[in-house]
Amino acid sequence: MAAIWTVLLLLLGTLSTPTTANLEGDALFAFRRGLKDPQHVLQSWDPTLVNPCTWFHVTCDKDNRVTRLDLGNAKLSGKLVSELGKLKHLQYLELYRNKLVGVIPKELGGLKSLLSLDLYHNNLTGSIPSSLSKLTNIRFLRLNSNRLTGRIPRQLTKLPNLKNLDVSNNDLCGTIPTSGSFYKFTEKSFENNSRLQGPELMGSVSYDIGFCN
Amino acid sequence: MGSFPLKYNMLSLYLYILVPHIALKTPRNYGEMEAQALLSWKGSLLNKTRSTLPSWTLSNCSSHCNKTSTPCVWFGISCNDAGKVVKVNVSSLGLEGTLLSFKFSSFPNLDSLDLSSNELHGAIPAHIGNLSQLTYLGLSYSYFSGKIPWEISLLKNLETFLVVQNQLNGSIPVEIGNMKSLKELSFGNNNLSGIVPVSLGNLTGVTILELFETQISGSIPLEIGNMKSLLKLSLNENRLTGSIPTSIGNLTGLTSLYLFGNGLFGSIPQEIGRLKSLTYLSLSENSLVGAIPTSLEMGNMKSLEDLNMGDNHLKGPIPSTFSNLKNISDLVLSYNQLSGTVPEKIGNLRKLSLLQLSNNMLSGHLPQSLCLEGSLVNFTAKENYFTGPFPKGLRNCSTLYRVRLGKNQLTGDISDVFGVYPNLDFMDLSDNNLYGKLSRNWGQCQRLTSLSLSGNNITGPIPPEFGESTNLAVLDLSNNQLVGEISRELMKLKFLNKLNLSRNDLSRLLPSEIGNLSKLNHLGISSNNLSGHIPKQIGSCFKLLSLSLSTNRFHGTIPSQMGDLIFLQILLDLSRNKLMGEIPSGLGRLRFLEKLNVSHNMLSGPIPSSFEEMKSLTSINVSYNQLEGRLPNIAF
Repeated sequence: MAAIWTVLLLLLGTLSTPTTANLEGDALFAFRRGLKDPQHVLQSWDPTLVNPCTWFHVTCDKDNRVTRLDLGNAKLSGKLVSELGKLKHLQYLELYRNKLVGVIPKELGGLKSLLSLDLYHNNLTGSIPSSLSKLTNIRFLRLNSNRLTGRIPRQLTKLPNLKNLDVSNNDLCGTIPTSGSFYKFTEKSFENNSRLQGPELMGSVSYDIGFCN
Repeated sequence: MGSFPLKYNMLSLYLYILVPHIALKTPRNYGEMEAQALLSWKGSLLNKTRSTLPSWTLSNCSSHCNKTSTPCVWFGISCNDAGKVVKVNVSSLGLEGTLLSFKFSSFPNLDSLDLSSNELHGAIPAHIGNLSQLTYLGLSYSYFSGKIPWEISLLKNLETFLVVQNQLNGSIPVEIGNMKSLKELSFGNNNLSGIVPVSLGNLTGVTILELFETQISGSIPLEIGNMKSLLKLSLNENRLTGSIPTSIGNLTGLTSLYLFGNGLFGSIPQEIGRLKSLTYLSLSENSLVGAIPTSLEMGNMKSLEDLNMGDNHLKGPIPSTFSNLKNISDLVLSYNQLSGTVPEKIGNLRKLSLLQLSNNMLSGHLPQSLCLEGSLVNFTAKENYFTGPFPKGLRNCSTLYRVRLGKNQLTGDISDVFGVYPNLDFMDLSDNNLYGKLSRNWGQCQRLTSLSLSGNNITGPIPPEFGESTNLAVLDLSNNQLVGEISRELMKLKFLNKLNLSRNDLSRLLPSEIGNLSKLNHLGISSNNLSGHIPKQIGSCFKLLSLSLSTNRFHGTIPSQMGDLIFLQILLDLSRNKLMGEIPSGLGRLRFLEKLNVSHNMLSGPIPSSFEEMKSLTSINVSYNQLEGRLPNIAF
């Protein structure tokens, strides 16, 4: 059965006479191609449709542009693809509680309408891209319970609307920024990162003395 | 001094004997020259890929195995009777390297060179022009870069030149117009620039011209109309502008014409109707204006199977001559500004499988005879001004897979208008003026995943038989005048992810079986007459992102199990009911909830301090209750 679906997927992706193109649908379908989907939550994702707005778990605005992607708790495995960064009207990227691996693509910094980035409870590795500091509208940034490494990019403190940050349960290092929008976050947002050192004291201790390789 | 003439004589003697011997040896030496050239190219390839050509080797044997030193027995190599290499085919071997050390001048007899589907990179060398006998050159699906060398035009015998999907840049050399033997020319999927050369008009023998998905710009030259042998013309997905030249009508043998995905403007020329052999025509995704050509000839295109003019700025009517397109299978006119009615006889087109009319300004009735003799699979006409009934012909249309007729003014009694559709996946009739009762037949549509009849004047109950359509994922019956109960049978739809029954007159209880819907993401039953308690089993719908029970007559307490819905994010709305008792502190577990509304109830006691844990709240409304005590420190 899985073999039949793989063949069908390949056929759908390479249909011989496509007569239209939809960039957002293409980006989402590129995402689908890199995933294993044992519960068939992406079964309705038909790339031959004019736009992805009738695909399940995709929400569009009145101009048929993708605003929400709700795929939390879906037993998905595979990687995040850079094409996801092309969804310029995306407000909610909900991919929590899956088995996603690989890195957070820096292209996600291009999601200029993003309000919520929920990648928590996956198996993501690599560092938090500093490009996420371009997400000027973001309110919720929840990357906890992954295997992220490296420093917390200092530029994230400049995010003016950041309401909720959670990077706990990772393998981050360096020191915890406390400036800008980070002043309101407690230790709970950073706990269980064994190499992450305590919150920086403004003005009295130099930054980034924490060991980070 | 005297020995010199003797040596000279000995030398001449030697030469007189040897030269004929050398001449006799020429065929074998030629073979050696070609073998050497192939081997030195193979040697330039990346180490690991060389192992895919194990037969390319010179054996070290003595005089009794002369034949094996020619390359004619090597894999992918063919020779003529004189032992000269005429064909090299190393396609799909994963070869990695360049063509820099491919000594083309060693192959004066080469007729066919196929290097496609490998990982060869670098430029196409100019000295490829030395292959004077070449008729077939295949370089597709590789990583060649740089410009197409003008020296390609020296290949006077070349008939087929394929270099699809590479990384070539620069313009198409105008000299290509001199290659009079050319029959097939494919440059698709590269990073070219520049324009379509006018000189291509000289290629009167070319049958296939593919320049799709490059970045070529400028206009389609009118000289294209001189390519009288053309069968397939693909200029899609480029940056072409300007109008479609009227000379295109001269290409009367054309079977496929793809111009979609460009910036073409102006009107569609009437001369398009002269293309009587056309099977596939796509002009979609351009900026074409004016009316669809109404010339009778357009309708005489009896071979036409696919016609796509969608996504343009076309105005005016759908020509009545379209009903003459007897072989049409896919007809796409959506996303334009077409007006007037749909010609009734379009319903008689037996082979019509895809009919896409959505997002226009069409009016009148939908053709009633659609699918009567036919095989309609996909029918979309949403967002127009259609009136009249659901087409009679669709009642027994068992091939239907996807139907979107939403946002029109369709009317009529739908109680007995739908048949059973074994292949139907998606049906949307929302926002029309339909009335009557819901048909039990929907329950027998076993492949149905999405059904929306929202925003009509439908009355009567929701048939319990709906619960048998077990693949339903989205059911939207909101905004109607439905009465009666939400039956337990409906709760058998275990794949439901979106259930919207809001704004109806449904009454009685919300069944406790609601807890069985473990995949439910969105539940909306607001603005009804539901009563009784909110079942505690709702806590089992753990994937809920949005829940609205607002504006009903629910009484009793808010079940503490609501706190189990930890992934609620978009909305929890229990407002405008008769709920009493205290707000359960378990609601504080809803850490991702953004909007909470429990206003207009009879809730008493304090606002739980656990609400301080609801870190995602952007909006909370507890007004019009009997709450007391301290406001917790909810951070916004």
